[in-house]
Amino acid sequence: MTTFFWTGKNGWTRRDLLKTAAAGAAVLAAPGILIREAKAAPKKGDTLVVGIWGGAQEKITRQYCAQPLIDKYGVNVEFVLGGTPDRRARAYSERGRPSFDVIYLNIFESRQAVKDKVTQPAKPSVAGFENLYDLAKIGGYGVAFNAITPVYDKTKVSAPIESWADLWRDELKGKLAWPTYPGAQGTAALIMAAKLNGGDEHNIEPGFAALEKLKPFAAFQGSQSQLYGMFDADAVAASVEFGSFTQKYADTQNADIVVTKPKEGMPVAMNVACITEGSANQALAEEWVSLHLSPACQTAYAQEIYYGPTVKNVELPPELASKCVYGEKDVAGLIDFDWDHVIKSEAAWTREFNRRIAG
Amino acid sequence: MRATRPGLGLLLLLPIGLWLAAGFFLPMGTVAALSVQADTSVFAELGFDLSLEHFGAILTDPFYLKILFDTLVMGVVVTLASALIGVPIALWLAGLPGRWRALGMAVVVIPLLTNVVVRSLGLMQALAPDGALATILALISGQDRVNLLFSPFAVGVALVQVFMPFLVLSLYDTLVGLDKRLDEAADSLGARPVTRFFTVTWPQLLPGLRAGMSIVFLMATTAYVSASLLGGKKVFVAGMVVFEEAMQILNYPFASAMAMVLLGVTSLGVVLIDRLFAGAMPWRTGRTKPLERQLSGPLPEIVVTVMEWIAPSLRRALLVLGWIVLLYPLVLVVVNSVNNVPQATAGAWKGFTLRWYEQILNQGSFYLDAALISGQLALASTVAALALALPAAFAIVRHPPVPKGTLMALFMLPLALPGIAFAIGMLKLLQIFFLIPPFLGLVIVHAVLILPFVLSMLRTSVEALDPRLEEAAGGLGATPMRVFRHVVLPLMLPGLAAGGIVAFLISFGEVTVTAFLSSARMQTLPVRIYADAQFDVLPTINVVSTLMIVATIALLLLLNKVMPLDRVWQKK
Repeated sequence: MTTFFWTGKNGWTRRDLLKTAAAGAAVLAAPGILIREAKAAPKKGDTLVVGIWGGAQEKITRQYCAQPLIDKYGVNVEFVLGGTPDRRARAYSERGRPSFDVIYLNIFESRQAVKDKVTQPAKPSVAGFENLYDLAKIGGYGVAFNAITPVYDKTKVSAPIESWADLWRDELKGKLAWPTYPGAQGTAALIMAAKLNGGDEHNIEPGFAALEKLKPFAAFQGSQSQLYGMFDADAVAASVEFGSFTQKYADTQNADIVVTKPKEGMPVAMNVACITEGSANQALAEEWVSLHLSPACQTAYAQEIYYGPTVKNVELPPELASKCVYGEKDVAGLIDFDWDHVIKSEAAWTREFNRRIAG
Repeated sequence: MRATRPGLGLLLLLPIGLWLAAGFFLPMGTVAALSVQADTSVFAELGFDLSLEHFGAILTDPFYLKILFDTLVMGVVVTLASALIGVPIALWLAGLPGRWRALGMAVVVIPLLTNVVVRSLGLMQALAPDGALATILALISGQDRVNLLFSPFAVGVALVQVFMPFLVLSLYDTLVGLDKRLDEAADSLGARPVTRFFTVTWPQLLPGLRAGMSIVFLMATTAYVSASLLGGKKVFVAGMVVFEEAMQILNYPFASAMAMVLLGVTSLGVVLIDRLFAGAMPWRTGRTKPLERQLSGPLPEIVVTVMEWIAPSLRRALLVLGWIVLLYPLVLVVVNSVNNVPQATAGAWKGFTLRWYEQILNQGSFYLDAALISGQLALASTVAALALALPAAFAIVRHPPVPKGTLMALFMLPLALPGIAFAIGMLKLLQIFFLIPPFLGLVIVHAVLILPFVLSMLRTSVEALDPRLEEAAGGLGATPMRVFRHVVLPLMLPGLAAGGIVAFLISFGEVTVTAFLSSARMQTLPVRIYADAQFDVLPTINVVSTLMIVATIALLLLLNKVMPLDRVWQKK
């Protein structure tokens, strides 16, 4: 061990010197840490990473959220595309050191992510927060309302479907594509089946019993595109799906399909923009969210895929409004569930579903 | 028999061993560790609070046992069907004149390039209740409507379509290496075509068939994306359980336990296949029956006559069936890329349009970027895999330090683990090793995923090498390096080329694991297409697929001009 100055038993070694230097630097830097801004301002060359679904979602956010930021600050915006399973798994494994700044999740995934401290709860200081409906303030910043409702092929039924209970008609037996569980649509369908028979999310057994009565199913559908393939192939007569996409599909491709507005009401689904805990671009991420909540972006979503705006300061023309979830009345009429309980029960319900309903 | 040098074998296996240790056994070890964790919460650290309850829950529950059984049966059926259709196709491909080989190759490998969603859409239309097949079956059976979709049959067809090309490529490699003079000799000795096939051709293509069937079996039993798209929960396969438990319920330990059980079962399957083939190829193990028992006499005359009568039509029928299975969904893709419908799911023709091509051209930069990344990744992974597999193939065939079967089973393990379980392991490791550059990480993983294919193809090539040629060269004064460069490498070129093509295509089309490891700036093309397709299926997806098909054909034709594939494959 080499010793430094004034050698001897009490002399300083090189190691000692290093330790002192480090301590000294820390002491000098300490005030700097205190006065450092909690939120660094966006500057040129920063990169914002957004995890979102592909297709129209990517297209619209590129135009209304990414481009303004690029023009204003000269930053880069990178998209990581995919469904929520892969993106959520990634975000969870990166908790505390996220590679995403903004991640889009659905209504219950977002709430669970906040609880698990993977994403931040919504902050009132973000511009646009004040315009959000209350429902859209939980779990992050709700950016789109989607109602889940029965949809059917009108050439395959004898009379229009106007209620959830109509799905149990004899003429539909063996022709239903049931939404798979777990999943937003599947959860909604299961709980509505329970409610029709005296139960609810806290008493789910009537729901399973009712679904058993519908067996055998023609198919189980795991996504809207899969369902539309089934409709196009004339393989099924009805299903439960997001009203928005299905309306767009009916308008553009398959005029036989009808989106119902059932008398029992429609469960709510929501796309939520979440800022990850520990994001390095907090200010940029918050501005992204504000842009997504802006009337321009919300209107674009409504026009493109009939997504219902989550903010109150958007004006939609009446024709468009009738196809979306729009306005206080529509939003208030959406059926919301006790999502905490639903999330906790997911494993048990999946077990039941796989054994009693699937196959 | 030449003396084996286990020491040299171990040395040759070192590179691949290290790579697999880092890129596979580490994630697999993580999965194994997860499978015995008592704490199932998603943020639980890997600890020593162990429990076998997950395994217990799986192995004592008839529900899961039935799923495992069904998955295995599906795997076996798909493997046999692939072999049945794949052998005639491979024979046809090997028999093509040199100029047409590139195109024939394209026919076989192009399905590998089409995205799984696109293929599934094509199949959905092909098997729709008012489609050709269902209508015919309805007429025959007298029923009103025959619903082929969302049944084990639909899933089986999807799996055969996607995995059969691997079997064909494995076989093809062997077939072109066949010595035609053996067939001629048998002919001149008076053997009829059927007898010649079973006594000369068939035994020689068994090694390629073994490799192909092992690969198809492993992939068919661990697949879940095709099963989900074409069967949903009506056809529950084991891979779906792993996905659901891991990604939706966030119960990693249970998913890992299921993956480990699947791994054990499929590995046993591969060992079984190996044993069966070893029994069918007694000359390899040196355990041939005594001469008197071998000469059991020719097949009965009547059997040979009947077989000869049906053979040509049967062979042609199977060949046509193979073409339909491979190409029909692709034809639908190409046709639909100019179809004027808003969604790619449409079955009807609504008019010719080029607007989807225009749209891609306008927003093409994103797809082009993703394609470039995919290409770079595939190239890097292919080179790495070939470099690792070549010495390993020699080690396995010539200097195995442990029994060959064990080694092969070990190196096939990456195929036996469902992609999703692999992703779980990587994600858990990501919590620790987050400083690895993304591209390097992807190359490591991709090379691991393609190594089993490359290794089995190269093993077949090395087994077909005649060591006497190398000895002769050595005897004439060539150093081992020169022998390798001038004798071994040219002979290995067909295997390397075939392995390289397969490796590149698999890496290019990989979605399952890559989706979880994608990060900003590192999005590959298939992941992008898959993400788009889950949301809405615009016809642009057909355009991208069509463009990839055209690009592949162009590439293969170019390759043929530069390095004539027929000369590459000729032995003399």
